[in-house]
Order: sequence, then structure tokens, then C-alpha cells
Amino acid sequence: MSRATRKWARFVATAGVVALIAACAPGSDDDGDDGDAGGDTTADADGDADADADGDTDPSDLGELTLVVWDQEVRGGQSEQIDALNEAFEAEYPNITIERVSRSTDDLRTTLRLALSDDDAPDVVQANNGRTDMGQYVASGLLEPLDSYAGTYGWFDRFPESVRSLAMYSDDGEVYGDGALYGLPQMGEIVGLYYSKPKLDELGIDPPATHDEFVAALEAADDAGELPIQFGNLNPFAGIHEYGFVQNQFVDAETIRNLGFGRPGSSWLEPESVEATETIMDWVDAGYFTDGFAGLDYDDSWQQFTQGEGVFLVAGTWLLADLDGAMGDDVGFILPPAGASGQNLVTGGISIPFAIPSNSDNKDAAAAYIDFITNSEAMATVADAGNLPVVDAEQQEASGLQADVFEAWAQAGAEDLLVPYLDYATPTFYDTITAAIQDLLGGQRAPQDFLEHLEAEYVEQVGS
Amino acid sequence: MGSMAGTHAADRAADTPATRRRRRSSGPPGEPRRLAYLYILPAVAVFATFIGFPLVRSATFSFYEWDGLGSSTWVGLANYTAVFSDPTLRGAFFHALVLIVFYAVIPVSLGLLLAATMMRARRMRGLGLFRVLIFLPQVVPMVVVAIAWRQIYGPEGPLNSLLRGVGLDGLARPWLGDYTWALPSVGLVGTWVGTGLCFVLFLAGMAKIQRELYEAARLDGAGPLREFFTITLPSVRGELAVALTLTVIAALKTFDLVYVMTSGGPGNRTAVPSYEVYRHAFLIGEVGTAAALALVLTAIVFVATVIINRIGDDGQGPAGPPATRGIRALLRRRHDDPPTTVTSAPSGALSTPAASDEGGRRR
Amino acid sequence: MISRTERIANYAILILFATIALYPVLMIISTALSPDQIGDSGGLHFGNFAEAWTQGRFGSYMRTSAIVAVLVVGLSALFSIMAGYAFGTMRFRGSEVLFYVVLLGIMVPAEALVVALYFDLRSVGLTNTLVAIVAPQVAQSVAFGTFWMRAYFRSSSREVVEAARLDGAGHWRTLWRVLVPMGRPAITTMLVLIFMWTWNEFLIPLVMATSEGLRTAPLGLAFFQGQYTAGTALLAAGATLVALPVVLVYLFLQRHFIRGMVEGAVK
Repeated sequence: MSRATRKWARFVATAGVVALIAACAPGSDDDGDDGDAGGDTTADADGDADADADGDTDPSDLGELTLVVWDQEVRGGQSEQIDALNEAFEAEYPNITIERVSRSTDDLRTTLRLALSDDDAPDVVQANNGRTDMGQYVASGLLEPLDSYAGTYGWFDRFPESVRSLAMYSDDGEVYGDGALYGLPQMGEIVGLYYSKPKLDELGIDPPATHDEFVAALEAADDAGELPIQFGNLNPFAGIHEYGFVQNQFVDAETIRNLGFGRPGSSWLEPESVEATETIMDWVDAGYFTDGFAGLDYDDSWQQFTQGEGVFLVAGTWLLADLDGAMGDDVGFILPPAGASGQNLVTGGISIPFAIPSNSDNKDAAAAYIDFITNSEAMATVADAGNLPVVDAEQQEASGLQADVFEAWAQAGAEDLLVPYLDYATPTFYDTITAAIQDLLGGQRAPQDFLEHLEAEYVEQVGS
Repeated sequence: MGSMAGTHAADRAADTPATRRRRRSSGPPGEPRRLAYLYILPAVAVFATFIGFPLVRSATFSFYEWDGLGSSTWVGLANYTAVFSDPTLRGAFFHALVLIVFYAVIPVSLGLLLAATMMRARRMRGLGLFRVLIFLPQVVPMVVVAIAWRQIYGPEGPLNSLLRGVGLDGLARPWLGDYTWALPSVGLVGTWVGTGLCFVLFLAGMAKIQRELYEAARLDGAGPLREFFTITLPSVRGELAVALTLTVIAALKTFDLVYVMTSGGPGNRTAVPSYEVYRHAFLIGEVGTAAALALVLTAIVFVATVIINRIGDDGQGPAGPPATRGIRALLRRRHDDPPTTVTSAPSGALSTPAASDEGGRRR
Repeated sequence: MISRTERIANYAILILFATIALYPVLMIISTALSPDQIGDSGGLHFGNFAEAWTQGRFGSYMRTSAIVAVLVVGLSALFSIMAGYAFGTMRFRGSEVLFYVVLLGIMVPAEALVVALYFDLRSVGLTNTLVAIVAPQVAQSVAFGTFWMRAYFRSSSREVVEAARLDGAGHWRTLWRVLVPMGRPAITTMLVLIFMWTWNEFLIPLVMATSEGLRTAPLGLAFFQGQYTAGTALLAAGATLVALPVVLVYLFLQRHFIRGMVEGAVK
């Protein structure tokens, strides 16, 4: 008895000592490692010479190195263009080897935070530009501001303010759209309306330019026994695009921008938002979306569209190359129909920007790489691979679906039609809005409840 | 290997009073040895570093608010409050409960039923083959299982085709996107994985029941049902505890399935504790909440294990710290009975597979 | 004895359950052999495996998995045998307390460890290394293995040990020359179980390493699912490749798997 007690006493005492050692606060002793200070010291230690030569670094002088690049361009056309550019880069700078790691958008997102904070971080990553991702990384000092490189490579001239501001943050990550530049995109990106040409011909209607025409087309398709809108929402992100598409037809640009960028001055509870939310629910109830869309995989969904299921498909230009390849002349692309605002507002802006982690050991080479894949030759490669280059689109040859997309992109730029992705708004808004939209479309949240849920988080962010 | 003479010497040595006393006591055989510390050193070191220490550190983390990157703030018990008040997290635990039904209750019931049915036949040809096949789901990597079932549940997948094929079109649905059915769909995969395990466990347990018991019962006029409840079920109480422990823990720990199949959706309908731990710690940067959640999960696993093994314990469990008694009963499962058979066991017996393990379990 | 009808019914039930157990597995294999692109000719497409192997980089993933499995199985078997030997055949102060603590360790879910472990390993620069993937799994396997080997050593014949000692064998020699060879069945069971758990582990490698060269096969497969967007044949081929090693080991050593589980091996 007493022996057992003694044993336990000793055990408890030992455990107590361990507990004391373990009790130091998390993050208290490794602030330096993870924050700017630590990251910069390690980088500078082995890159001092480079830092001095910042002004005119030639990547050929950097010695033998391996550049680890994480991208999310896994789709047909995009993957191709990255491969082509990587090959060209390696040919130009034989001393640099590129190790490419590509993941789906979701999988990249779930591992990027872990990777960036590691000492052994990748050298170039695609970091989604919203507050959920890039904003958080900037606030934590995980990404390198690119302004000095921008001077060297002339990025301020190459990219217009409207493009750059989508990847600009203040040092603390609080202000979005202003401050330092943290990433550069390769492609333009808009979420528009793909339509099946043969099906519209059969229905005897033109591609809808206004909301009313669009609703008429949906009704006509439904009456003819066609599936009006192909949609798969098993992957949570898809709902953002579908909802934004409808929202753009009711709410004005200023409001959507405030909501999307997490800026004060607007509200989710205005009557237009209610109307938009109720409309998308009407469409769900009317059966305008694919039967069982909640359980349909995103990629299965667009593949069904290519096989003739669905008159319309709301999707981004990231599907351009894949759809063009599968459907050729049978598919067209237009901006979302103009609604209350009278404008063809369209969600989008830039493809996920390429950024440089603070913990990268090869920042100069990384900057050279980013420059290489976004310069004007690269833009031609992007167009050749069947995609939408973020700048210089008008200088590229295009036909068919690609021409449609280029035209829509040009119009969006000229008429200032771009509105942001809704998940940019707050650090946790991606999870909030994807789940909320699934809830809404699944009939689990009434429209009013849905909007109040979003409003609560928006208000918390803007602090009004 | 010792010579025969040596064995006899050992036999004689075993008769000395000292050894006899030692054999009666519950301690391990052998003489005291300080060397033992050297033998256990690597195991204990790796255990302490990679299980003990992280567990204590988790407890520390759980009192702070920390995004995993910058500096942290002491928040006391706020993270635990969040675990019990945040609807998503509370929902996650509720979902785990639902999963227990699918992972544990159904497979155990099915396994019992199936094994009992098979045991009525004294000998079935080919039973071994079926055992191997039915057990197979247990060894397939969860990611592969998830990919297979994601296909099966697809809107145009085999399950819906089957339902439509037999005229039950009304039942076909997007299983993983359906608010009511997504969680049961995930659960059913657990049923698929666990049933074979339970079947095999009970088959082994029932094989040890003496036939005479059944014959006597039948002479008494007992039907299959009474046979099952008076003889079969009580005899496999130990196996029942093992089956429940394994399957309940599997249900509470579900991660890969949800990660690959649903990411917690639709809405948060398939959010489970393990997935929320991962999401909070590594995606949205709420490390303190994740640590608190992980510790609550661990506590639940412990409590569930102890409760289950109280049930499996037949009342004469070995002494020891009460908290571990149930676990010990499970894990030792009579291996530690005073080794009365050991000294007389012919060494040849040890060359048959598991004679050592099964020897202790015969009743 | 049971009636003929009951016997037939028994087989029918067994066949039904076996079919349900096998269906998803067979479905994956048949999908893996089907044409990848719509419009490709029928027949069996064994080329899918080669295609998936290169496209999904399974060569690299499987190599990592193999290295991790060898290290985890090897180290934890060594440590478990040594610790089990001490706990099973020697008396020393603190043995009970230590053993119970190790037992409790079997119950600790990996989820409870990875959070703190990841951040602490990161602060000492060990994340993204083989150590970070292997060591936590060794610790978990050692908890189980120590329990398992102790049970074996306790039940092993004491006169054999004492005879060996009379023959002049030291404790180390007794362990490796006498007890371990005799305990091959129990040790094999432990090895196959640890191998299966390690090969199938998902959470620890997901969190502990982000560099491509350290991704294990199940992770590679999960990512391949998201990445490979145009069809299911290659995905199924990848799934088959990832499952193959552990299923093969199971088919050859199934008795050990089943016995291990029957004995209540928890992880």
C-alpha cells in the first residue's frame, strides 16, 4: 500500500517537473524564428551578396540552386503552360532547377499555411489573395513584400493598378488593396456564363444580355426538358461563384466591393441582397440546377456539361482550355447578364498570385522566376495554352471560345465591371460563406438567416 | 536453447519456496535487475518525448489564444468554453456520437448475429476463406476506402443506379451532399469497415465455447434465441469489449474519411472532432481551441474505453489504480493470470502460432 | 448438427457479406482497368497503372512510404522487444507504474499529439524531416508493441530462460538467441500490425511534412484525387497501387492480422 503510494507520488512529482518545463507559452520563444526577424536573418546570412546586388541581379550568377515552386494550376491548359514556362526558364538559366509541386486549389490551401511557416519553405507559392489566405500570411510576416523587385523588373509598368491592388496589403495585413505588393498573377480570371450553342439554337434564343432575358432562357430551357444550369457543389468553393453570379445581377458594384474586400460602408441586409438570395432559392426550387447538385463533384459537373447536360454553366475562365478542348465550337462565353445596376458585373480579377515566402532561401531567383512567368512572352504562352493572360490579352491571337473570353475580359476592364470574390472579406470568411451557401441551397438556412449570418461576420471585420 | 538437463534443473528450481511465492504474487517473474532500466530506456524515451511531452504541451497550448505564428495570449479556460458552446464544435461531438452507432453498434450487432449463425453449424467448409474476405476492409488504407465510396455515393454512382434499377427512384439522392444523409453515408462506410472485424472476433470467441453446453441446452428445449442469450453472448463478453473498444475509438477518431469525402460538408453536417482539430490548428489558426478540442477528445476516448471494459470485466479484474483497471482488463485479458500452466508447458507448444497468447485466454 | 436448409442459408449469408465486403475493392480495380477517356476502345487498360504511376508521382510517394514503414517497424520492434523483455521477465522498481503509463499511451489518439508536436518540432527545425514523420509513429507503435511483447515474454517458459542461463547465456543472448526465435509468431503478428498502421497513416504525415519528397502514398493519393480532374480510371489505378502492398501482406499473413485484432490490438 505505502509502496504503491510512494511510487505514485514519485510519478506525480516527475510529471510535475515535466509540466513546468512544458508550461512555457506557445510561440513565446520562437517568435523570432517565425516572424520577420528570424526569417530575414537566415535568408540574409546566405544571401548577403544577393541582397546588395538587388538592383540588377542576373539569375545566372546565383549559382546552382533548386527552386521549389508550389502551384495550383492542375487543369489541362494551365498545367501545360506552367510546364512550358518552367522548361523555358531552366533552358535560359541552366544553373537553376525547378522542382514543381502542383495541387488542387483546396489541397494547396490546406497545406500552405504549414509550409510557409516552416524554415524549409518553398521558394515560390500561389497564395490566394483574399484576407483568408494572403492577408493572414502577410499579417504573420510569412510573405516577402515585392516592391523592391517590382522596381527592378518594372512590374509597376507591366501591371495596372487595378491588377496590382488585388495583391496589395499593409504590413499588418489589415488594409487590403493598398500598401506593399505581395504577389503577381499570371492570368485574368472572371466567373462568367458558359452556354451550349446547339442548345440555345434549339431553344431559338440568343445569349442573354440582361437578367430578364436570362430568366426567360432558364424558363424556356426548363420547359423544353433541358437542364437550365449545370452545377456541382460538393466542393465547397463552387457555391461562391454561383451565388456571386446571381448577386451581381441585383446588387451594385460599390456594395459588392465593400462586402468582398471587407471594407466598411455596406451591409448584407439591404433589400437587393435579400432579393438576390431569394432568387437563387427560387431557381433551386424550380429545379433549374442539376438534380443532386449538393452531392455532385465540381469536375464531374463540368464534364457533364461537355457531354450535353445543361444549357448554361456558371464558371470561371480557369475552365477555358478544358471546355474549349472538349466542346470546340459548341460552347460560348459571356459576362453575367446585366441586372438592376444595368452593368454586366462580373466576379473575378486575377488568378491566384505567385508570391515569395519570407522563409525562402532563394528569394532573388524566386523573383526572377515570377518575372519570367509573367512577362510579355509568358503572356503569349498563356494565350497559346488556351488561357486568359492577365495583361496584353488584346495583343494575342484568339478564336472561338477564347475570343469570347478575351472580349468579355476587355469589356470588364474597360467598363470597370469587376467585383471581388466574396470570400476575400475576412480571415475566416472562406469557411463561413462556403458552409453558409451550402446551408442556404440545401434549405437549411432561410435567406434572411443566411444574410444575417454573413452580416454578423462582416460587421465584426469592419468594426462598424 | 537449453538442454534437457537444464530444463529438469529449472523444474527443480521452480519448486523452491521462493519461486513458489513469487509465482503466486502478481509481479513479473525473474529476479530484480537494474539492467531492466537499460532495456526499457529506448522505449520509454521515445514514448516520453513523442507522446507524454506533446500531451502536456497540448494542455499548455489549450490555455492560450495563438494563431500558430505570432505571439500568444493567456486566455484561461476560454478555449474549453468554446469547445462546449460553439455550435460547430458541439455539432462535431454530436456527429461523433452518431458515428458510434454506425461504426460500433451496428457492426457489433451484425457481427454477433453472423458469428452465432455460423457457429450453429459445427463445421463449415470454406469458413476460413470467407473470414479472410469479410475481414479485408479492415486492412485497406482509409484513403482508398474513401475514394471508392465517394464514387459509390456519387449522384450517378452505383448506389443510385441500384436504387433506380429496382424501382426505388425516390430513394436515389446525392448522398454526400444531402443534409440528412451525408453523415449516415459516412457512417455506413464505418459499418462496412468494422463488420468484418467484429465477425472474426466473435467467431474466435465462440469457437472456444464447449459444445456440451449447447447440447445440454437443447436437451432442455432451448431455442436458438435462448441459446444465444444464455450461452453464446455471456461467453464472448471479453470479445465484445475488444470489439466495442476498437470500433468506438475508430468512430471517435474518424479523420481521413471526412478529409477525403466531404471536407465536413454539406454545411458542417459531417464535421467531426478530429477534422475540427486539424482545421482549427492548421487552417484557420486557432491553435488553442484545437488543443482544447484534442484534449477533450482524448478524455472521451479514455472514458469510453474504461466504461466499455467495465462491461467486459467479469468482476475479478486485477487490482491497481482504478482508472486503469478497465484498460488493464482489456489489454491483459488474462495474459497475466498466475502462470500455473507455464512451468509445465512443453516448450514445443510455443512453436505453434500464438500458443502463448491463446494459452492464457482459455477458460 | 444443423439442417441442410440452414446450411445453405448460412452460405447464402456468408456470400452476401463477402460480396458487400469485396464490392468497393473490385469496383476500384475494374475502374482502374477501364478506358480513361470517353471513346477509348474497350478491353483492359493495364496502361492506366503506368500512366497513374508517372502522372501521380506514385514512385516517389511509395518510396517514402516504404522508407517510413521500414524505419517505424524496425525501430519500434527493436524497442518493444527490449522493453517487453524487461517488463515481462525482470523485476524492478517502478515497473508497474511505467507499464501502466505506456498502456495509457495506447489510448492517446494521434489528434491529441500532432498539434503540440508540430509546433514544438517546428521551433526546433525538425518539421519537414523524416524524423517528424517516423518518431511519433514509433512512439505509438512502441506503446502497443511493449504491451504485446510483455504478454509474450510473461507467458514464455521460464525454465527455458533459466536453462539458457545455466548454459552460461547472458540476458542479452538469452533474449536474442532463445526467446526471440521462439517468439516468432507473436513477433510476426506485431510486425504486420505495425506495418499496416504505418502504411495507412494519414494525419501524421499530412501535418509533419510539406515537402514533396516526404509525402507518403496515402497523401499522394488524396492529392491526386483533387489534382486529376478529368476522369476516374487513373485515380482508381492510383488507389489500387497504394492499397496493393498492404493487401498483399494481408493475403499472405492474414492469420497474423486477424489474430492481432482478435487479441485486442488498439491503435
